Amino acid sequence: MNRLKFIDRMSQGRVSRREMMKAAAAFGVSATLLPRAGRAAEMLTCLEWGGYDDPAYFPAFMAKHGVQPNFSVFSGEEEALAKVLAGFAADIMHPCNYSVARFVTAGLTKPIDTARLSHWNDVFPVLKDAEGVVVNGDVVMAPADWGNASVAYRPDLVEKDFLDAPTWGILYDERYKGRVSTLDDALVIQIGLMVEGKSYDEVYNLHGDELRAAAETWGRKGLETARFLWTDATELQQAMASGEIVAAYAWNDVIGNLKEQGIPVAYAVPKEGFFTWFCGLSILNSGKADEAAAYDFVDAWLSPETGKLLIEGSGYGHANTKSFEIADAEAVAAMGLDDPIAMMANSTVFRTPDNAVQEDQNKVWEDLKATHF
Amino acid sequence: MRPLTIYAALFMAFIYGPVLLLVVFSLNDNTFATFPLKGFTLRHYVEMWSQAPMLAALGNSLRIGLGVTLLTTAIAIPAALALTRFRFPGKPAILGAMMLPLVIPSIVLAVSLLVIILKFLNIPLSLWTVAAGHVLICLPFCTSVLMSRMEGFDPSLEEASRDLGSPPWQTFRRVTLPLAMPGVISSLLLGFIISFDEFVIAFFLTGTDNTLPVYLYSQLRFPNRLPATLALGSLILVGSTLLVVIAEILRRRGVQSNNPGDL
Amino acid sequence: MSSATTNGVALRDPARRREAFAGFWLITPALVVMVSMLALPMVALVVLSFWTQDGFTLDTTFTLDNYRRLFATSERGVAWMGMTFYLEYPVPAILMIKSLVMSLTATVAVVLMAYPMAYFLAFRVKRNKAVWIILLTIPFWTSYLLRVFSWKVVLGFNGAINSGLISLGIIDKPLEFLLYNPAAVMITLSHAWVTFVVLPIYVSLEKIDRSMLEAAADLGDSRWRRFRRITLPLSMPGTIAAALMVFIPTVGDYVTPQLVGGTGGTMIGSLVQQLFTKQNDAPMGAAVSLVMMLVIALLVLLFLTLVGYWKMRARRQG
Repeated sequence: MNRLKFIDRMSQGRVSRREMMKAAAAFGVSATLLPRAGRAAEMLTCLEWGGYDDPAYFPAFMAKHGVQPNFSVFSGEEEALAKVLAGFAADIMHPCNYSVARFVTAGLTKPIDTARLSHWNDVFPVLKDAEGVVVNGDVVMAPADWGNASVAYRPDLVEKDFLDAPTWGILYDERYKGRVSTLDDALVIQIGLMVEGKSYDEVYNLHGDELRAAAETWGRKGLETARFLWTDATELQQAMASGEIVAAYAWNDVIGNLKEQGIPVAYAVPKEGFFTWFCGLSILNSGKADEAAAYDFVDAWLSPETGKLLIEGSGYGHANTKSFEIADAEAVAAMGLDDPIAMMANSTVFRTPDNAVQEDQNKVWEDLKATHF
Repeated sequence: MRPLTIYAALFMAFIYGPVLLLVVFSLNDNTFATFPLKGFTLRHYVEMWSQAPMLAALGNSLRIGLGVTLLTTAIAIPAALALTRFRFPGKPAILGAMMLPLVIPSIVLAVSLLVIILKFLNIPLSLWTVAAGHVLICLPFCTSVLMSRMEGFDPSLEEASRDLGSPPWQTFRRVTLPLAMPGVISSLLLGFIISFDEFVIAFFLTGTDNTLPVYLYSQLRFPNRLPATLALGSLILVGSTLLVVIAEILRRRGVQSNNPGDL
Repeated sequence: MSSATTNGVALRDPARRREAFAGFWLITPALVVMVSMLALPMVALVVLSFWTQDGFTLDTTFTLDNYRRLFATSERGVAWMGMTFYLEYPVPAILMIKSLVMSLTATVAVVLMAYPMAYFLAFRVKRNKAVWIILLTIPFWTSYLLRVFSWKVVLGFNGAINSGLISLGIIDKPLEFLLYNPAAVMITLSHAWVTFVVLPIYVSLEKIDRSMLEAAADLGDSRWRRFRRITLPLSMPGTIAAALMVFIPTVGDYVTPQLVGGTGGTMIGSLVQQLFTKQNDAPMGAAVSLVMMLVIALLVLLFLTLVGYWKMRARRQG
């Protein structure tokens, strides 16, 4: 993992000029040679988040195949889905728990034979059979990166009653009007119901009239309290760093990123509970490359080395339990994950309602936003 | 100072102010762009330099932008000429249709072009397909700015040229094109910034070569990558300004002209 | 040439026929681009709007249901901004109005900002105009996302304006009304589009015959009168064209409002995008798109007729 170390040292400003030049030369070579080599028809094509297209995330694949796959980077899974539906041939997709079922329903995925993944046994058991990893009895996504979703807050800026008894209710609390932010998702309605006392299992599948009624109360309240609805983590963390917002629905990478800059921030364990989201790799049936290469790529992503990079570099968790053993203890602690296994057991893993319900939830949420001004 | 000059200064401050902040924060020793500033650093530039895919995306965008704007302007010049100087049946309808790419929601245009390219034409996606899509959306802008220039300028010069026996091509090259030059330059610049900044069509129509906007959008998921993108934006800004200034200095040295209407 | 022939002569006239032929010949490349890339998407859009979708499956039976749903009235009204919509599915209508208002306001703001600058470029700048023009576009070579981001930093809670005002002692608590509201959308949109308007207006001012202005000055016209009677009318077609170049595409823009508009930032463009993706209702998305395009086209035609654009152009070509 020379590259990793290099980036690490670079970010601390400890790279000599000669090393820089060497790296630059390496970049020059890879930039001119690799894409050319990648033109071959049987090359693996991956739909990937920009940033995960770094060979450091799949060292085992690089070791075996020597060249990077082709990457088509996307910023939202729905756009990626539309592109594949329109006929774009890709072998690998990197969806998340809330989007993977859409690819499956659209008939775009292949079941994954977990016996062909050498690291499968080390995957967190909760993730192995989570809804979304398994759909209709098939494993359709190998979980790779995951994180929590809870309330992140500025301890210096919230009031004492929240510090004493943290609750999701802060996102609907009039006292914090214009000082909180939440995810742009129908989840706002569901979490509102949890504040009211319902359990996640009761509300995740909500649809029809019940959903519409809850949208009118909790959805509207959430919209009225929020300063903005976030769609990307950069937007949210920037606003938290500047003090624009004091509490938000957030993933745990916010903690590490803000603390690194000396900004006080904490991650709550709300009385209603907190969530775990996960993303992973799916093998698409539109792919033209050799299936074995696709499995190599997925397996490489599950390796503990990848997990170490993910934990240290981006503040996300990794599906392989062993990643946490080799990762920098400080980085693990920064995520608020002293004991990832215990944490995972305590959290609520997001569930996946069926496609019609998801559509209904999206529609109700969008319609609600439309009439809000 | 005249009020208009003051206004121009304020105007330039308005369009440059926010982007100059990018430069400030790209040199600030903080992952987040917040005040107060923490201290000077070049580490964001070092980090940017290590992000090969982002630099490759920049290269792709530059190439597409340049190609698209040249091609679009080349198509738009005769089109604008036809629409302003010639009478022919169906002109209003054609003019209306030319504005169509402005009204179609970009996702609709992008997805339907993608289906046509992949399922009907069976052409693999590449930067070429992106460029084709960009020519389509740049065309109304380029044509319109060229029409603004060509509309109603004195046709007597062209007539004189023709009366002197010049073939049409020569009249165009010697008379029409120089007269249209401010429009041509504006068209080239508009075409470039539209293509360079376009996201939706580029995302759908590209294969595995990414353009800069596509790449930047996808980076939003990783807040700690923000400073590197700020560094890149600043570099583009400073680099292009320097390029213009140097070109201007060279031109002045080379020409030594005192021609005031130098367009 | 158009000025050489008289109006109303049919194509039977050989000169007119030659002119028409030459005109067609010149516009052919543009037409090829348009027809090859636009015709099929348009047809597909129309056809799609008469279908329905269930999950990921398209039902290709012809139906007017999508349009019926868009226009079906309801007893129960939905109130929005002091208006009541008696529609079964009021969301597209509400978003359409919201988007039109936003786009219209932004367009007016942009044109008012751009005109003096274009005037300055055309009449006050004597040297290096090309350099000025390029300098006007350079800020837009940085990515759009980064520009929106920098506006957030300018307007934000701890941003440039607030920090500045606080350090000057003018305020002691950051102003919160700067960001995440319609005003922020206006500022950001103005910034994004202003160059697109300065350039065409400049171009149409630049070609105004200076001798005409001098003659008017010799006749004793004041500067303001010269502007009102010569410069403004002559630059009007270009200005109108430039305004439309902003108005038409911003109606469908949804990225800017979403990024800086706060919780009320949903626009008609976001609905179309959602219908095509998350809501799995592409046929409805197509119907909404077509109605939106039609509304924009009608508004543009109405506007052009009201301001007498056709006459203006005819006069110019006279």
